[in-house]
Amino acid sequence: MSADATVVAVRGLRVGYGSVVVLADIELTVTAGEIIAVTGVNGVGKSTLLTCLAGLHRPAAGTMSVLGGAPRDDPAFWRAVALVADQPTWYPGLTVREHLELIRLTHQPLRGWCLPADELIDFFGLAARADASPLDMSSGQRQRLSLAAALARPSRLLLLDEPEQSLDADFRVELAGLLREGYADNGGTVIMATHDADFALAAGAREVRLSDGAIVPDDEDYEDATDEADEADDADDVDGSDDADPTDEADDVNGSDDEYGTGDAEDADDIQDPGAWTAHAARHTRPRA
Amino acid sequence: MTTDAGTVQLADETGATETPSSVRSIRSFVRGRRRRSWLDVYAIGFAIVIGCIYASDLLTAPLSRLSGTAAAHAAGQASSLAASQAVAGAALVVAITAGLLMLAQAFGPIAVSPADSFWLLLSPLSRRALLRRPTATVAGLGALAGVAAGVLALAMAGPYLQHGSRALPAAWLALSAVSGAGIFLAIVFAGALAQPRERWRTRLRACCAAVAAIAVVGAVAGERWTALEHAVTAGFARTSTGALGVLAAGSVALAAVVGALVWLSLGRFPAGVLRTDSARAGRALLAAAFLNVPLLTWIAEDNHWRGRLLPSRAWPNLPPAMALAWADWRRLGRRPALLTVLAGGALVPALAGAAITGKPHGWTIAATLLAGAIVAGLHGTATTRRDTNDQTLRRMLGVDARAALLARAALPALLAAAWLTLALTLLVATGVLHGWLWPALGFIAGPGVAAAALRMARTAPINPADQGPNLPTGPTPPWLISRALSVVVGLIGGYPMLRAVHADQVHPDGLIAQLLVSAVVLGGYLFIAGNVPQ
Repeated sequence: MSADATVVAVRGLRVGYGSVVVLADIELTVTAGEIIAVTGVNGVGKSTLLTCLAGLHRPAAGTMSVLGGAPRDDPAFWRAVALVADQPTWYPGLTVREHLELIRLTHQPLRGWCLPADELIDFFGLAARADASPLDMSSGQRQRLSLAAALARPSRLLLLDEPEQSLDADFRVELAGLLREGYADNGGTVIMATHDADFALAAGAREVRLSDGAIVPDDEDYEDATDEADEADDADDVDGSDDADPTDEADDVNGSDDEYGTGDAEDADDIQDPGAWTAHAARHTRPRA
Repeated sequence: MTTDAGTVQLADETGATETPSSVRSIRSFVRGRRRRSWLDVYAIGFAIVIGCIYASDLLTAPLSRLSGTAAAHAAGQASSLAASQAVAGAALVVAITAGLLMLAQAFGPIAVSPADSFWLLLSPLSRRALLRRPTATVAGLGALAGVAAGVLALAMAGPYLQHGSRALPAAWLALSAVSGAGIFLAIVFAGALAQPRERWRTRLRACCAAVAAIAVVGAVAGERWTALEHAVTAGFARTSTGALGVLAAGSVALAAVVGALVWLSLGRFPAGVLRTDSARAGRALLAAAFLNVPLLTWIAEDNHWRGRLLPSRAWPNLPPAMALAWADWRRLGRRPALLTVLAGGALVPALAGAAITGKPHGWTIAATLLAGAIVAGLHGTATTRRDTNDQTLRRMLGVDARAALLARAALPALLAAAWLTLALTLLVATGVLHGWLWPALGFIAGPGVAAAALRMARTAPINPADQGPNLPTGPTPPWLISRALSVVVGLIGGYPMLRAVHADQVHPDGLIAQLLVSAVVLGGYLFIAGNVPQ
């Protein structure tokens, strides 16, 4: 990997709200064309990490490099970075199509990969509502429009905060495909906070798991997962339950727990492997004892 | 390349232009597609006209002091009453100005529309060009408020101005207006400079609050101590064209310097701060436009509690209804500053009476006492208000609606009683009212007035689509009727006290009458409301 391909480099990042430390000693490197899925329990700091990368939240310590420099909050930065976070506020009186046209107009000249408004409307299933106000649409349709707006303009880094929210399962797969084959394969980099392992898997994302404000190292990740699985198995043994256990199923799919935590390269391969992702997701979505 | 969406086009092939868009063209795009009906235009125009009518009504009396008062003063007719009125009035102008500046800081002062903050802020558009219009709007409104404050301040000093002619020179009026605008703008611009720096923002807000508090205390002190009164009126008498000119030039120069600094900072104004402030300002304006008090309350509460760490305390070992009501007590206990402001507000009746009507007692004081007691009571009704929309917590704790209402009535009653006691004590202390029974009367009247606060808290949120009955004055929305009825309930609940204040006479019989009225009004309201399913 060449240094030029590094899109995001975070070193010793520490972020807090008042006296509450949310992120501590975050180390992260992301290269061009990668899709990163930032996972972790609610409140662990996924959205905070994204807002820091967007330069909207100032960290207490550490360094961040986004596209070759610190997040600058200037026109050049926002030409290269697209952020989809929070629920948008829509212009009353503007239609779906007009919102997309507005985005394209705002980011002129459009140099780089992006999709025209008509294609976005078709792809995101909004053709029947193209002339409607977003205020009249369902939450899922509005989420589709938010994501479409991010792809209506060129960018080199796409920051998505739980893009799967309110989307139906089938469309999540389609969206993952577009992010992978459309955006990332054209050199774009995606960093998304998500709770949907299947969505991340379909997008071919590398998982960065946050726990207690820090990125979980791969080996620790494995130990936690194993411990949790063992505890769960023990609990099943005690109560003699025959209920289907997602961890067991995951083990079957995966073949062996040893496929985790055996090094960076192998772990990266595992993540790309659908079986590994399913098992991985099953472990991490299992409630703690 | 091909994706599921079909053929992906490079941006250059999609009709894109080579020149970057300007904010002007973007705004033109949005404006050209916005469907605004004539009804919207009419509603806005009507609101402006009504606002101007109310403002002119309010300002006519103070501004009348600008004409013909010099001759009266020359004839030695400027009484001690006029002196206290001038001091109190000038202090009120300073306090209101400080309050407006705090309000401006609460909304930014620089903010864009919520939609602009989402779609245009994080874009390649020039930040300075994007913020030019909102900054100009803030400057325009600030200048307008400053002009009004400057002219009002001069009007308050009217009887003591020594200009040597029958009518006030136009130059004085103009210089005073320019001075007011300059000072106001300088502080608003300072607020804009402090906006990205939370610590400075807090300091500036604290400074404005301190100025307002000092003005109020000074006004009340001016009524009590003639030395202060004489010093202030002597200051008014030294006003000259030269002094006003220096003040105007200095304030305008200061505003220009701070304004230039703001202009320079617009290009790098942080997007994160703007997004937060714009969202808050948008919500608040929407709520204000629809008189949505619950939403405004929620915004204020959200603004206060967000980002705070609170020590958790165990739920008290009380009967369920009392435990439910305890949430209000705990919330208030965590806001000592709010209680301090409420206590400080107890000075307002004395100040308002002297500044607005010039009479030591009368309906002005009675009206401020009623309004203040209702506001004090409302601060103890947060959970009652929440239950109007969502009764989950009450149901979860298995508390009967009537029992919950009874338990929750205690705090607003106590708050209203305490506030009235304090306000009447201060009215006695400042010599506005006479007699030692006033504080007791205030304490007894509190529960009666608190019925109004409870009724307001239990009123359903405003539905703008609800036209309501067609009264002789035209279609009257139910929310207006409901809130007006709440005030009437408060008026009835505190009538013996208000009548006594108006007459400046208090007797033991009045205390007994107030006790009976309070018991009947609050008890009656609780009985009726407890039987109405929500």
